[in-house]
Amino acid sequence: MIHFKNVSKTYPPNIVGIRNINLHIRPGEFVSIVGQSGTGKSTLAKMMFAEERPTSGEIAVGGWDITNIREHDVPLLRRQIGVVFQDFKLLSQKTVSENVAFALEVAGVSNRRIREVVPQVLKIVNLSDKGDRYPRQLSGGEAQRVVVARSLVHRPKILVADEPTGNLDTIHTREIIDLLKKINEFGTTVVLVTHNREVVNALKKRVITLDDGQITSDVEEGRYRL
Amino acid sequence: MFTSTLRAIKFAFQKFGRNFWLSIITVSMLVFTLLTINILIVLQQVTTKAITFAEDRIEVSVYFYPNSTIEQVSDAAVYLQGLPQVRDVAVITSDEALERFKLRHASDEVILASLSEVDGNPFGATLVVKAHSADDFPFILDALDNPKFRDDIREKDFSSYESIIDRIRSTTDRIQLFGIALSGIFLLIAILIVFNTVRIGIFIHREEIGIMKLVGASNAFVRAPFLIECILYSLLAVTITALIVFPSVATMDPKFSLFFNGETGGVLTYFSKNWYWIFGIQFIVMTIINMLATMVAMRKYLKV
Ligand SMILES: Nc1ncnc2c1ncn2[C@@H]1O[C@H](COP(=O)(O)OP(=O)(O)OP(=O)(O)O)[C@@H](O)[C@H]1O
Ligand SMILES: [Mg+2]
Repeated sequence: MIHFKNVSKTYPPNIVGIRNINLHIRPGEFVSIVGQSGTGKSTLAKMMFAEERPTSGEIAVGGWDITNIREHDVPLLRRQIGVVFQDFKLLSQKTVSENVAFALEVAGVSNRRIREVVPQVLKIVNLSDKGDRYPRQLSGGEAQRVVVARSLVHRPKILVADEPTGNLDTIHTREIIDLLKKINEFGTTVVLVTHNREVVNALKKRVITLDDGQITSDVEEGRYRL
Repeated sequence: MFTSTLRAIKFAFQKFGRNFWLSIITVSMLVFTLLTINILIVLQQVTTKAITFAEDRIEVSVYFYPNSTIEQVSDAAVYLQGLPQVRDVAVITSDEALERFKLRHASDEVILASLSEVDGNPFGATLVVKAHSADDFPFILDALDNPKFRDDIREKDFSSYESIIDRIRSTTDRIQLFGIALSGIFLLIAILIVFNTVRIGIFIHREEIGIMKLVGASNAFVRAPFLIECILYSLLAVTITALIVFPSVATMDPKFSLFFNGETGGVLTYFSKNWYWIFGIQFIVMTIINMLATMVAMRKYLKV
């Protein structure tokens, strides 16, 4: 599903993001990426949806070589990958439903289809009854679930979540992780970047550890070890 | 495609609404610019009118000696009529000239008395020559030096509207120059304001734009609302300008009749006849200029 071949990223002037990463994530996997701050986790994640381009190496997503993806094609890639960030990135002047609908609107999806999809994804994240609220009227966990719902509107084959629980307490963290597991069970490949030891240990899924831009361990059913 | 276009238009209106005051300022500046340009158009019309009006009234009176025959006079009239520069030749016979003189001095006993002292009709025939343009008069005057007529002509009198025309020209030329400079400055300010509005718009919407891109909006879709907003701005500005210009011209135009012997300045007719050209071109040019400013701003600030 996701292939990295000798991928390095150097930010100007010569800050190392990641170096010489080789990685293969199979369809339907749930992969956690852990590591200390500044070790290149976000850099790695951003490359999967062409937010950053590699300095060298090759990247393929779903069999599509996106190493030198044209600007024009980036939107197509983004519509196949759901993205969830730590800072929620909801539009405060739009309601929950409108925030979710927004992702479909800007992709040119018809109004009829939008009316179908929005309730569906809100149901998945268990927010069917809060569609008319504004982001400020939601708890952190609920807001993050809206972001997850929004990332699902295009039925992505891949979901990339960069510290989705970074701002959340234990209960809300559990909610989000359970949600990601549920999405993964539906067949979506999930890439989770996290700092959270309990989360990683409870998942009992594949764990990739980064240090100084390099993969130091890659273990099926791994544990959080730094 | 159709859905996306509608949505881009909707987003453009939302942007306009959210930056309401900024939008108002932008549109006002565009209106100021367009107003100066329209004032120039009005001025141009009035000047043209004034000049033709004055030119219509330039004439040369050619006085013949009393003893010249009616044939000689009409020969000269036919000759002048044949010149392409000549618009009209009117013949005043010596009898008519005498009648006019008597009429003009009807109340002056002394003059009438001295007139009766003279044998016969002391007045010769007169030709009143009008030209197509003031520039043609030197040629016409030269033509009358033709030896065929020269000796019959007592005097050529050039009623001088020329200095008036020169004055109209130099005054309006100066006003026009000032107007062009002013609209140039306004246009420059307008461009900067549009640029700044777009810049602020991008800044205000940077979160939204970021999300749009993250969820897979095309670049065209991100940019479209900004460009549509340009069209909206110029459309509004041109409409407001037209709503100011038409009533102003309508009230102003009849006032010109004081100067033009009862004729109106013709500005209202000009605007009513050509409004779609005048305002259509202003709209198109304004939109293009706005779009260029917007594209420069987007290139600079919208990292897509
Ligand atoms: N846009 C950028 N320009 C320059 N340097 C960058 C940029 N983004 C990241 N870096 C640098 O690249 C390195 C890796 O950053 P990255 O964000 O991938 O780390 P991270 O593992 O996600 O850290 P954290 O856990 O704190 O989020 C860091 O040294 C960082 O300073
Ligand atoms: Mg990070």
